[in-house]
Amino acid sequence: MASIARSSLLRQVASARPAFQQQNVIANAARATAFHTTARRDLLPPLPQHVEGTVNDAAPVPETSPSHGSYHWTFDRLVAGSLIPLTVVPFAAGSLNPTLDAFLCATILIHSHTGFQNIIIDYLPKYRTPRARKIFMWGLNAATAVVGLALYEFETTDVGITETIKRVWTA
Amino acid sequence: MAALRSSTARLLGAASRPVLRAPAAPAAVRGMAQVTDGQQQNLAASADQAKLKTFQIYRWNPDTPTEKPRMQSYTLDLNKTGPMVLDALIRIKNEIDPTLTFRRSCREGICGSCAMNINGTNTLACLCRIPAEDNAEMKVYPLPHTYVVKDLVPDLTQFYKQYKSIKPYLQRDTPAEDGKEYRQSKADRKKLDGLYECILCACCSTSCPSYWWNSEEYLGPAILLQSYRWLVDSRDEKTAQRKDALNNSMSLYRCHTILNCTRTCPKGLNPGLAIAEIKRDMAFSG
Repeated sequence: MASIARSSLLRQVASARPAFQQQNVIANAARATAFHTTARRDLLPPLPQHVEGTVNDAAPVPETSPSHGSYHWTFDRLVAGSLIPLTVVPFAAGSLNPTLDAFLCATILIHSHTGFQNIIIDYLPKYRTPRARKIFMWGLNAATAVVGLALYEFETTDVGITETIKRVWTA
Repeated sequence: MAALRSSTARLLGAASRPVLRAPAAPAAVRGMAQVTDGQQQNLAASADQAKLKTFQIYRWNPDTPTEKPRMQSYTLDLNKTGPMVLDALIRIKNEIDPTLTFRRSCREGICGSCAMNINGTNTLACLCRIPAEDNAEMKVYPLPHTYVVKDLVPDLTQFYKQYKSIKPYLQRDTPAEDGKEYRQSKADRKKLDGLYECILCACCSTSCPSYWWNSEEYLGPAILLQSYRWLVDSRDEKTAQRKDALNNSMSLYRCHTILNCTRTCPKGLNPGLAIAEIKRDMAFSG
Protein backbone atom coordinates (compact mmCIF):
# COMPACT_ATOMS: atom_id res chain seq x y z
CA MET A 1 0.00 0.00 0.00
CA ALA A 2 2.48 2.48 1.27
CA SER A 3 5.05 2.74 -1.48
CA ILE A 4 2.60 3.49 -4.29
CA ALA A 5 0.49 5.87 -2.26
CA ARG A 6 3.49 7.64 -0.88
CA SER A 7 5.22 8.25 -4.19
CA SER A 8 2.08 9.84 -5.65
CA LEU A 9 1.72 11.88 -2.52
CA LEU A 10 5.29 13.02 -2.91
CA ARG A 11 4.65 14.00 -6.50
CA GLN A 12 1.65 16.06 -5.47
CA VAL A 13 3.61 17.78 -2.77
CA ALA A 14 6.52 18.35 -5.10
CA SER A 15 4.41 19.89 -7.87
CA ALA A 16 2.64 22.17 -5.42
CA ARG A 17 5.86 23.64 -4.09
CA PRO A 18 8.51 25.88 -5.64
CA ALA A 19 11.72 24.38 -6.97
CA PHE A 20 13.96 25.00 -3.98
CA GLN A 21 11.55 23.17 -1.71
CA GLN A 22 11.33 20.33 -4.18
CA GLN A 23 14.98 19.62 -3.51
CA ASN A 24 14.16 19.47 0.16
CA VAL A 25 11.34 17.00 -0.38
CA ILE A 26 13.56 14.76 -2.47
CA ALA A 27 16.29 14.89 0.16
CA ASN A 28 13.75 14.03 2.85
CA ALA A 29 12.43 11.12 0.83
CA ALA A 30 15.96 9.82 0.33
CA ARG A 31 16.56 10.05 4.03
CA ALA A 32 13.29 8.25 4.74
CA THR A 33 14.19 5.39 2.42
CA ALA A 34 17.46 5.06 4.28
CA PHE A 35 15.40 3.65 7.14
CA HIS A 36 14.41 0.62 5.12
CA THR A 37 17.33 -1.73 4.82
CA THR A 38 15.21 -4.54 3.38
CA ALA A 39 12.81 -4.50 0.47
CA ARG A 40 9.47 -3.08 1.44
CA ARG A 41 6.95 -5.85 1.09
CA ASP A 42 3.98 -5.39 3.28
CA LEU A 43 3.72 -8.90 4.63
CA LEU A 44 2.06 -8.57 8.00
CA PRO A 45 2.90 -4.90 8.57
CA PRO A 46 2.83 -3.85 12.23
CA LEU A 47 -0.65 -2.92 13.37
CA PRO A 48 -1.47 0.24 15.25
CA GLN A 49 -0.85 -0.23 18.94
CA HIS A 50 -3.65 -2.00 20.74
CA VAL A 51 -3.80 -2.32 24.50
CA GLU A 52 -5.85 -5.21 25.85
CA GLY A 53 -7.90 -3.90 28.78
CA THR A 54 -6.31 -1.02 30.67
CA VAL A 55 -2.59 -0.38 30.93
CA ASN A 56 -2.70 -1.62 34.51
CA ASP A 57 -4.16 -5.05 33.70
CA ALA A 58 -1.80 -8.00 33.48
CA ALA A 59 -1.35 -9.60 30.07
CA PRO A 60 -3.63 -12.65 29.75
CA VAL A 61 -2.03 -15.97 30.76
CA PRO A 62 -2.68 -18.74 28.20
CA GLU A 63 -4.16 -22.07 29.23
CA THR A 64 -1.78 -24.76 30.44
CA SER A 65 -1.17 -27.39 27.77
CA PRO A 66 1.98 -29.48 28.24
CA SER A 67 1.42 -31.23 24.90
CA HIS A 68 2.16 -27.90 23.22
CA GLY A 69 4.62 -26.83 25.88
CA SER A 70 7.03 -28.90 27.93
CA TYR A 71 6.19 -32.36 26.48
CA HIS A 72 6.47 -30.99 22.97
CA TRP A 73 9.81 -29.36 23.72
CA THR A 74 11.23 -32.46 25.44
CA PHE A 75 10.09 -34.66 22.55
CA ASP A 76 11.71 -32.21 20.12
CA ARG A 77 15.02 -32.39 21.97
CA LEU A 78 14.94 -36.19 22.18
CA VAL A 79 14.32 -36.46 18.44
CA ALA A 80 17.09 -33.96 17.66
CA GLY A 81 19.43 -35.74 20.07
CA SER A 82 18.76 -39.18 18.63
CA LEU A 83 19.55 -37.85 15.16
CA ILE A 84 23.20 -37.33 16.11
CA PRO A 85 24.17 -41.02 16.60
CA LEU A 86 21.86 -42.06 13.74
CA THR A 87 23.71 -39.81 11.29
CA VAL A 88 27.17 -40.64 12.67
CA VAL A 89 26.78 -44.43 12.62
CA PRO A 90 26.55 -44.84 8.82
CA PHE A 91 29.82 -42.91 8.44
CA ALA A 92 31.53 -45.15 10.99
CA ALA A 93 29.97 -48.47 10.02
CA GLY A 94 29.64 -47.91 6.27
CA SER A 95 25.90 -48.57 6.20
CA LEU A 96 22.82 -49.07 8.35
CA ASN A 97 20.64 -52.12 8.64
CA PRO A 98 17.10 -51.64 7.23
CA THR A 99 15.50 -51.18 10.63
CA LEU A 100 17.89 -48.45 11.70
CA ASP A 101 17.64 -46.91 8.25
CA ALA A 102 13.85 -46.73 8.57
CA PHE A 103 14.26 -45.28 12.05
CA LEU A 104 16.59 -42.60 10.70
CA CYS A 105 14.04 -41.72 7.99
CA ALA A 106 11.22 -41.45 10.51
CA THR A 107 13.30 -39.31 12.87
CA ILE A 108 14.34 -36.90 10.13
CA LEU A 109 10.71 -36.65 9.06
CA ILE A 110 9.48 -35.89 12.58
CA HIS A 111 12.35 -33.48 13.16
CA SER A 112 11.58 -31.48 10.04
CA HIS A 113 7.86 -31.58 10.79
CA THR A 114 8.29 -30.01 14.22
CA GLY A 115 10.82 -27.57 12.78
CA PHE A 116 8.37 -26.34 10.16
CA GLN A 117 5.69 -26.23 12.81
CA ASN A 118 7.85 -23.89 14.84
CA ILE A 119 8.33 -21.65 11.81
CA ILE A 120 4.59 -21.48 11.19
CA ILE A 121 3.88 -20.73 14.86
CA ASP A 122 6.53 -17.99 14.80
CA TYR A 123 5.48 -16.22 11.64
CA LEU A 124 1.73 -16.81 11.43
CA PRO A 125 0.39 -15.70 14.81
CA LYS A 126 -2.99 -17.17 15.67
CA TYR A 127 -4.51 -13.93 16.89
CA ARG A 128 -3.54 -12.19 13.67
CA THR A 129 -3.86 -14.70 10.84
CA PRO A 130 -5.99 -17.59 12.13
CA ARG A 131 -7.00 -18.80 8.66
CA ALA A 132 -3.52 -18.76 7.13
CA ARG A 133 -2.26 -20.50 10.25
CA LYS A 134 -4.79 -23.27 9.84
CA ILE A 135 -4.14 -23.65 6.10
CA PHE A 136 -0.38 -23.83 6.56
CA MET A 137 -0.62 -26.26 9.47
CA TRP A 138 -2.82 -28.66 7.51
CA GLY A 139 -0.65 -28.17 4.46
CA LEU A 140 2.34 -29.18 6.54
CA ASN A 141 0.49 -32.20 7.90
CA ALA A 142 -0.40 -33.26 4.35
CA ALA A 143 3.17 -32.76 3.14
CA THR A 144 4.54 -34.79 6.06
CA ALA A 145 2.05 -37.57 5.34
CA VAL A 146 2.99 -37.67 1.65
CA VAL A 147 6.72 -37.65 2.41
CA GLY A 148 6.18 -40.31 5.08
CA LEU A 149 4.36 -42.51 2.61
CA ALA A 150 7.05 -41.99 0.00
CA LEU A 151 9.80 -42.81 2.47
CA TYR A 152 7.91 -45.93 3.53
CA GLU A 153 7.67 -47.05 -0.09
CA PHE A 154 11.32 -46.23 -0.62
CA GLU A 155 12.44 -48.14 2.45
CA THR A 156 10.32 -51.21 1.79
CA THR A 157 10.68 -51.57 -1.98
CA ASP A 158 14.02 -49.85 -2.71
CA VAL A 159 17.53 -49.67 -1.25
CA GLY A 160 16.89 -47.24 1.61
CA ILE A 161 18.14 -43.76 2.37
CA THR A 162 21.74 -44.30 3.51
CA GLU A 163 22.48 -46.60 0.60
CA THR A 164 21.01 -44.03 -1.84
CA ILE A 165 23.14 -41.24 -0.44
CA LYS A 166 26.18 -43.49 -0.69
CA ARG A 167 25.50 -44.25 -4.34
CA VAL A 168 24.75 -40.62 -5.22
CA TRP A 169 27.90 -39.54 -3.39
CA THR A 170 30.20 -41.80 -5.37
CA ALA A 171 28.30 -41.50 -8.68
CA MET B 1 35.85 53.46 42.00
CA ALA B 2 34.87 56.79 43.46
CA ALA B 3 38.49 57.63 44.19
CA LEU B 4 39.54 56.67 40.72
CA ARG B 5 36.79 58.68 39.14
CA SER B 6 37.65 61.80 41.11
CA SER B 7 41.35 61.48 40.33
CA THR B 8 40.79 61.04 36.60
CA ALA B 9 38.46 63.99 36.64
CA ARG B 10 41.16 66.04 38.32
CA LEU B 11 43.84 64.87 35.91
CA LEU B 12 41.75 65.73 32.91
CA GLY B 13 40.88 68.99 34.56
CA ALA B 14 37.47 68.88 33.08
CA ALA B 15 35.08 69.39 35.96
CA SER B 16 32.47 70.67 33.61
CA ARG B 17 32.30 67.35 31.77
CA PRO B 18 29.52 64.98 32.64
CA VAL B 19 30.95 62.84 35.39
CA LEU B 20 29.46 59.60 34.12
CA ARG B 21 30.87 59.70 30.64
CA ALA B 22 34.55 59.78 31.46
CA PRO B 23 34.76 56.58 33.53
CA ALA B 24 32.53 54.62 31.17
CA ALA B 25 35.42 53.22 29.14
CA PRO B 26 37.80 52.28 31.98
CA ALA B 27 34.94 50.73 33.96
CA ALA B 28 34.43 48.17 31.21
CA VAL B 29 38.06 47.16 31.31
CA ARG B 30 38.30 47.01 35.08
CA GLY B 31 34.93 45.32 35.61
CA MET B 32 34.58 41.97 37.29
CA ALA B 33 35.36 38.81 35.33
CA GLN B 34 32.55 38.13 32.92
CA VAL B 35 31.24 34.71 32.01
CA THR B 36 31.53 35.60 28.33
CA ASP B 37 35.22 36.43 28.70
CA GLY B 38 35.96 33.00 30.10
CA GLN B 39 33.98 31.31 27.36
CA GLN B 40 35.83 33.24 24.71
CA GLN B 41 39.13 32.20 26.22
CA ASN B 42 38.02 28.59 26.40
CA LEU B 43 36.86 28.72 22.80
CA ALA B 44 40.18 30.19 21.71
CA ALA B 45 42.07 27.57 23.69
CA SER B 46 40.09 24.60 22.43
CA ALA B 47 39.45 25.78 18.89
CA ASP B 48 42.58 24.09 17.57
CA GLN B 49 42.00 20.81 19.44
CA ALA B 50 38.23 20.57 19.46
CA LYS B 51 37.19 16.92 19.39
CA LEU B 52 34.03 17.12 17.36
CA LYS B 53 31.62 14.20 17.32
CA THR B 54 28.42 13.98 15.37
CA PHE B 55 25.38 12.27 16.81
CA GLN B 56 22.61 11.18 14.49
CA ILE B 57 19.46 10.90 16.51
CA TYR B 58 16.09 9.45 15.57
CA ARG B 59 13.40 12.09 15.66
CA TRP B 60 9.67 11.62 15.42
CA ASN B 61 7.09 13.99 16.75
CA PRO B 62 3.60 12.71 17.63
CA ASP B 63 2.21 16.21 17.04
CA THR B 64 2.88 15.75 13.32
CA PRO B 65 2.13 12.05 12.91
CA THR B 66 2.08 12.13 9.11
CA GLU B 67 5.71 13.22 8.95
CA LYS B 68 8.09 10.33 8.60
CA PRO B 69 10.71 9.74 11.28
CA ARG B 70 14.03 11.31 10.41
CA MET B 71 17.62 11.33 11.62
CA GLN B 72 18.86 14.64 12.95
CA SER B 73 22.56 15.39 13.31
CA TYR B 74 24.05 17.24 16.23
CA THR B 75 27.75 18.01 16.53
CA LEU B 76 29.34 18.39 19.94
CA ASP B 77 32.84 19.13 21.17
CA LEU B 78 33.78 16.13 23.29
CA ASN B 79 36.15 18.27 25.37
CA LYS B 80 33.13 19.93 26.90
CA THR B 81 30.94 16.86 27.15
CA GLY B 82 30.87 14.11 29.73
CA PRO B 83 32.18 10.69 28.74
CA MET B 84 28.84 8.90 28.28
CA VAL B 85 26.24 9.08 25.55
CA LEU B 86 23.67 10.25 28.07
CA ASP B 87 25.90 13.25 28.87
CA ALA B 88 25.93 14.10 25.18
CA LEU B 89 22.15 13.75 24.92
CA ILE B 90 21.60 15.96 27.96
CA ARG B 91 23.99 18.54 26.53
CA ILE B 92 22.18 18.50 23.20
CA LYS B 93 18.88 18.99 24.99
CA ASN B 94 20.25 21.76 27.19
CA GLU B 95 22.22 23.70 24.63
CA ILE B 96 21.22 22.83 21.09
CA ASP B 97 17.71 21.46 20.80
CA PRO B 98 15.34 21.48 23.78
CA THR B 99 12.74 19.53 21.78
CA LEU B 100 14.85 16.36 21.83
CA THR B 101 13.00 13.86 24.01
CA PHE B 102 14.39 10.90 25.93
CA ARG B 103 13.94 9.21 29.29
CA ARG B 104 16.66 9.41 31.88
CA SER B 105 16.85 9.39 35.62
CA CYS B 106 19.71 7.98 37.65
CA ARG B 107 22.61 8.36 35.14
CA GLU B 108 24.39 5.35 36.68
CA GLY B 109 22.72 2.27 35.24
CA ILE B 110 20.35 1.54 38.09
CA CYS B 111 16.98 2.82 36.85
CA GLY B 112 16.90 1.49 33.30
CA SER B 113 15.19 4.59 31.92
CA CYS B 114 17.71 5.53 29.23
CA ALA B 115 17.63 2.21 27.35
CA MET B 116 18.06 2.92 23.65
CA ASN B 117 19.70 1.55 20.54
CA ILE B 118 23.16 3.11 20.23
CA ASN B 119 25.26 2.22 17.19
CA GLY B 120 23.09 -0.83 16.61
CA THR B 121 23.22 -2.22 20.14
CA ASN B 122 20.54 -1.91 22.77
CA THR B 123 22.14 -0.46 25.85
CA LEU B 124 21.78 2.14 28.54
CA ALA B 125 22.94 5.56 27.34
CA CYS B 126 24.34 6.27 30.79
CA LEU B 127 26.60 3.19 30.68
CA CYS B 128 27.67 3.62 27.04
CA ARG B 129 30.95 5.45 26.60
CA ILE B 130 31.36 7.76 23.60
CA PRO B 131 34.25 6.21 21.66
CA ALA B 132 36.85 8.99 21.57
CA GLU B 133 39.36 7.21 19.34
CA ASP B 134 37.50 7.68 16.09
CA ASN B 135 35.26 10.47 14.89
CA ALA B 136 32.68 8.26 13.26
CA GLU B 137 29.08 9.37 13.65
CA MET B 138 27.09 7.79 16.45
CA LYS B 139 23.59 6.66 15.63
CA VAL B 140 20.98 6.68 18.34
CA TYR B 141 17.60 5.04 17.83
CA PRO B 142 14.83 4.13 20.26
CA LEU B 143 14.57 0.46 21.28
CA PRO B 144 13.80 -1.55 18.14
CA HIS B 145 10.31 -2.89 17.38
CA THR B 146 8.62 -0.75 19.97
CA TYR B 147 5.84 1.74 19.47
CA VAL B 148 7.54 5.12 19.72
CA VAL B 149 5.92 7.74 21.91
CA LYS B 150 8.30 10.48 20.82
CA ASP B 151 11.92 10.61 19.60
CA LEU B 152 13.81 8.14 21.83
CA VAL B 153 10.89 7.28 24.13
CA PRO B 154 9.42 3.81 23.49
CA ASP B 155 6.06 2.62 24.74
CA LEU B 156 6.64 -0.22 27.23
CA THR B 157 2.99 -0.86 28.14
CA GLN B 158 2.97 -4.44 26.84
CA PHE B 159 6.30 -5.14 28.55
CA TYR B 160 4.95 -4.04 31.93
CA LYS B 161 1.65 -5.86 31.42
CA GLN B 162 3.57 -9.05 30.76
CA TYR B 163 5.70 -8.42 33.84
CA LYS B 164 2.53 -8.12 35.89
CA SER B 165 1.20 -11.38 34.42
CA ILE B 166 4.02 -13.46 35.97
CA LYS B 167 3.10 -12.24 39.47
CA PRO B 168 6.51 -10.86 40.40
CA TYR B 169 6.10 -11.12 44.15
CA LEU B 170 6.49 -13.73 46.87
CA GLN B 171 3.49 -16.08 46.96
CA ARG B 172 3.23 -18.08 50.15
CA ASP B 173 0.48 -19.61 52.25
CA THR B 174 2.31 -21.02 55.26
CA PRO B 175 3.64 -18.56 57.82
CA ALA B 176 7.28 -18.65 58.87
CA GLU B 177 8.03 -21.27 61.55
CA ASP B 178 9.27 -18.83 64.17
CA GLY B 179 6.88 -16.06 63.17
CA LYS B 180 9.76 -13.93 61.95
CA GLU B 181 10.99 -13.35 58.42
CA TYR B 182 11.10 -16.13 55.81
CA ARG B 183 14.61 -17.56 56.06
CA GLN B 184 16.62 -19.25 53.35
CA SER B 185 20.01 -20.91 53.29
CA LYS B 186 23.04 -19.22 51.83
CA ALA B 187 23.00 -21.70 48.96
CA ASP B 188 19.37 -20.87 48.18
CA ARG B 189 20.11 -17.17 48.33
CA LYS B 190 22.99 -17.67 45.96
CA LYS B 191 20.60 -19.00 43.31
CA LEU B 192 19.08 -15.53 43.07
CA ASP B 193 22.39 -13.90 42.17
CA GLY B 194 22.41 -12.90 38.54
CA LEU B 195 18.61 -12.71 38.55
CA TYR B 196 17.58 -10.10 41.08
CA GLU B 197 19.90 -7.47 39.56
CA CYS B 198 17.69 -7.09 36.49
CA ILE B 199 16.44 -3.51 36.21
CA LEU B 200 13.80 -4.22 33.54
CA CYS B 201 15.27 -1.80 31.02
CA ALA B 202 13.85 -3.94 28.18
CA CYS B 203 17.16 -3.96 26.27
CA CYS B 204 17.13 -7.76 26.02
CA SER B 205 13.47 -8.21 25.15
CA THR B 206 13.60 -5.64 22.37
CA SER B 207 16.75 -7.23 20.92
CA CYS B 208 15.07 -10.64 20.62
CA PRO B 209 13.74 -11.45 17.12
CA SER B 210 11.26 -13.88 18.63
CA TYR B 211 9.94 -11.08 20.78
CA TRP B 212 9.79 -8.78 17.76
CA TRP B 213 7.48 -11.18 15.94
CA ASN B 214 5.42 -12.38 18.91
CA SER B 215 5.47 -9.76 21.63
CA GLU B 216 1.70 -10.22 22.04
CA GLU B 217 2.11 -13.76 23.36
CA TYR B 218 5.79 -14.54 23.96
CA LEU B 219 6.99 -13.10 27.26
CA GLY B 220 10.52 -12.22 26.17
CA PRO B 221 13.86 -12.68 27.94
CA ALA B 222 13.51 -9.98 30.60
CA ILE B 223 10.17 -11.26 31.88
CA LEU B 224 11.32 -14.90 31.70
CA LEU B 225 14.44 -14.01 33.69
CA GLN B 226 12.18 -12.51 36.34
CA SER B 227 9.91 -15.53 36.11
CA TYR B 228 12.90 -17.75 36.84
CA ARG B 229 13.89 -15.48 39.72
CA TRP B 230 10.58 -16.42 41.42
CA LEU B 231 10.70 -20.05 40.29
CA VAL B 232 14.01 -20.71 42.03
CA ASP B 233 13.21 -18.70 45.14
CA SER B 234 13.14 -21.26 47.97
CA ARG B 235 10.63 -19.13 49.90
CA ASP B 236 8.03 -19.14 47.13
CA GLU B 237 5.33 -21.83 47.35
CA LYS B 238 3.55 -21.38 44.03
CA THR B 239 6.29 -22.87 41.86
CA ALA B 240 3.92 -25.38 40.26
CA GLN B 241 1.39 -22.69 39.33
CA ARG B 242 4.16 -20.51 37.97
CA LYS B 243 5.36 -23.36 35.78
CA ASP B 244 1.83 -24.12 34.60
CA ALA B 245 1.45 -20.52 33.49
CA LEU B 246 4.48 -20.91 31.22
CA ASN B 247 3.53 -24.37 29.96
CA ASN B 248 2.08 -23.55 26.55
CA SER B 249 3.49 -23.07 23.08
CA MET B 250 3.84 -19.28 23.25
CA SER B 251 4.83 -17.88 26.65
CA LEU B 252 8.18 -19.63 27.04
CA TYR B 253 8.84 -21.91 24.08
CA ARG B 254 9.10 -19.17 21.45
CA CYS B 255 12.66 -18.78 22.73
CA HIS B 256 14.93 -20.29 20.09
CA THR B 257 18.17 -19.60 21.99
CA ILE B 258 19.20 -16.76 19.69
CA LEU B 259 21.01 -15.26 22.71
CA ASN B 260 20.81 -11.63 21.60
CA CYS B 261 19.49 -11.05 25.12
CA THR B 262 22.68 -12.20 26.81
CA ARG B 263 24.86 -10.31 24.37
CA THR B 264 23.08 -7.01 24.85
CA CYS B 265 22.33 -6.98 28.60
CA PRO B 266 23.90 -3.76 29.95
CA LYS B 267 24.02 -5.27 33.43
CA GLY B 268 25.91 -8.34 32.26
CA LEU B 269 23.17 -10.79 33.20
CA ASN B 270 22.34 -13.97 31.31
CA PRO B 271 18.63 -14.22 30.43
CA GLY B 272 19.41 -16.96 27.89
CA LEU B 273 20.75 -19.20 30.64
CA ALA B 274 17.75 -18.47 32.86
CA ILE B 275 15.36 -19.45 30.07
CA ALA B 276 17.35 -22.63 29.39
CA GLU B 277 17.10 -23.50 33.08
CA ILE B 278 13.33 -22.96 33.07
CA LYS B 279 13.07 -25.28 30.07
CA ARG B 280 15.23 -27.89 31.79
CA ASP B 281 13.22 -27.73 35.01
CA MET B 282 9.95 -28.04 33.09
CA ALA B 283 11.27 -30.93 31.00
CA PHE B 284 12.16 -33.01 34.04
CA SER B 285 9.25 -32.09 36.29
CA GLY B 286 6.34 -32.32 33.85
